[in-house]
Amino acid sequence: MNIIVTIKQVVDPNIPPSHIELDPAGKRVVPPFGIPPVINGYDANALEEALRLRAKYGGRITALGLGEDSGRESLKRAIAMGADSAILLSDPDWMHADSAGVGRLLAAAIRKVGDVDLVLCGRQASDTDGGQVLYWIAEALDLPAVSPVSRIEELDGRNVTVHRLIEEGYQRLRVELPALLGISSETNEPRLPSLRGTMAAGRAMIPGWKAPDLGLEAPAAKVELRQLRTQARTSSAELIAGNLGAEQGVALADKLHELGLI
Amino acid sequence: MAGVLVFGDVAGGEPTAASLEVAAAGAALAEALGEPLSGALVGADLAEASQQFRGGFACLYLVEGSHYRPYTAQAYLTAAQAVIQACSPSVVLFTHTLETRDWVPQLAARLNSGLVMDCTALASEGGALVVTKPVYGGAVLGEFVVRGAPRMATLRTRAFTPRPAGFSREEVTRLEVAASQPERLVLLEETAAAAAGTRLQDAKIIVAGGRGIRGPDNWHFIEEASAALGAAVGCSRPMVDAGWVPSSHQIGLSGTSVAPDLYLAVGISGAVQHLAGITAARVVVAINSDSGADIFTRANYGVVGDYREVLPAFIARIKQLRA
Repeated sequence: MNIIVTIKQVVDPNIPPSHIELDPAGKRVVPPFGIPPVINGYDANALEEALRLRAKYGGRITALGLGEDSGRESLKRAIAMGADSAILLSDPDWMHADSAGVGRLLAAAIRKVGDVDLVLCGRQASDTDGGQVLYWIAEALDLPAVSPVSRIEELDGRNVTVHRLIEEGYQRLRVELPALLGISSETNEPRLPSLRGTMAAGRAMIPGWKAPDLGLEAPAAKVELRQLRTQARTSSAELIAGNLGAEQGVALADKLHELGLI
Repeated sequence: MAGVLVFGDVAGGEPTAASLEVAAAGAALAEALGEPLSGALVGADLAEASQQFRGGFACLYLVEGSHYRPYTAQAYLTAAQAVIQACSPSVVLFTHTLETRDWVPQLAARLNSGLVMDCTALASEGGALVVTKPVYGGAVLGEFVVRGAPRMATLRTRAFTPRPAGFSREEVTRLEVAASQPERLVLLEETAAAAAGTRLQDAKIIVAGGRGIRGPDNWHFIEEASAALGAAVGCSRPMVDAGWVPSSHQIGLSGTSVAPDLYLAVGISGAVQHLAGITAARVVVAINSDSGADIFTRANYGVVGDYREVLPAFIARIKQLRA
């Protein structure tokens, strides 16, 4: 079983919104000082799922990231969690790629790795919340895609059986391999790196592939970021007055009743 | 390529509320572009829905067939491609549901279209489509220019106001799309979620507690408030990490995204990952002793105070009002 897990490095979503700053051009979020970036949460779920599949069925896990050189840290963490190897796609020409472009680049890298049975992606990223890249990878590689996956039930040599979330519950699907799955957080609780893994990560060489390695130019973006702006940081909440907590409680109940909310 | 095409969803035989919002957004955009507006419905039974899905469309496309329930991406993908081929729109708009989040990006990839999902605003600038989409859990708004033919967007529920349908005389076009054979993906069964209690994502009222509750012994305050309101119980991530509340109650990025009419956040500071889960809540009330907490930037109503004093009086008053 040859598994690829895509890993995106993101700003830690556990910070308060007031810690998020933009660069002067309003084109990108400046990584908050002193708060290390993390592996996108759903990608960590995807990696954990890959580790469990490998434990059961054997095989190899390759973590695949795309982004700036600093993204190497998250790939090292993926190795520390148990991935066998990692590859970083990093080329300044790819900085402005949209979901379609990123998907095609990742697909080209997966093709170069070759002989892949399963591609596991997070269902979406916590920073851009795009939710598209996985489908562009699947289209480029002509793989069946299922997302959001809440459970991987079983795997035989030809198929994987999964649960896919729908509005009213879930669907059980049998998907022919090779396939791409968008993993959701219902699947598992990602493990922490082991001591042995951390040592392996320290020794690991993570190759950085650039445009010539993939034989791909920067694809023309169909979606172009024009401007980021932060939401109002000041509170516009109407404050419920009262000298004592009890007075506020009564006033709040009356207010919500008046609004027809309760 | 000209015109705006809006895809509606059907639930229980009727167009969903979100579909009417998308129709209204499409009408406004078509007006701004000076192009015609068309609608489309795909489903198993469209008899009622096709009467109710009225947005002043020049043409309403209907693709009906028993193979649209239960949902498969393949069926919707094929149907949507047929409609787009018949209509040749410059812009296509969709609702933003678990289903559209699955098949619309596949459609965009198939047609090589520009797509932005979960948009909260749309504008046309000299023929270009400019959309706004919250990123970083809603802490940042991104403005994107979308290109391609057609250009596509899914629209966040409740971000656009539905407007009364005009009594336009619309042409109805029925398209026959053959059931595509399941190729590499087979639906084995569909299971409804356990009906025990109100599911968080369906709840009209949610009372949620966070780190500010300080200790599992105080959790009864949250449970009593939710019982008095007939509300579902939620929590923020630290409560789950600490093992005080089961993870099924977690609201936010790694938990459930909710859309209640009333969200009562008690002792929740408002980290990015939590706010991302309540973007669709209609009215947010925050009770927090820290007036500088980020939750107040999202809240519509705020109480700065000790929840242990506020909630008992709140609960007692609710009981009086409901008696």
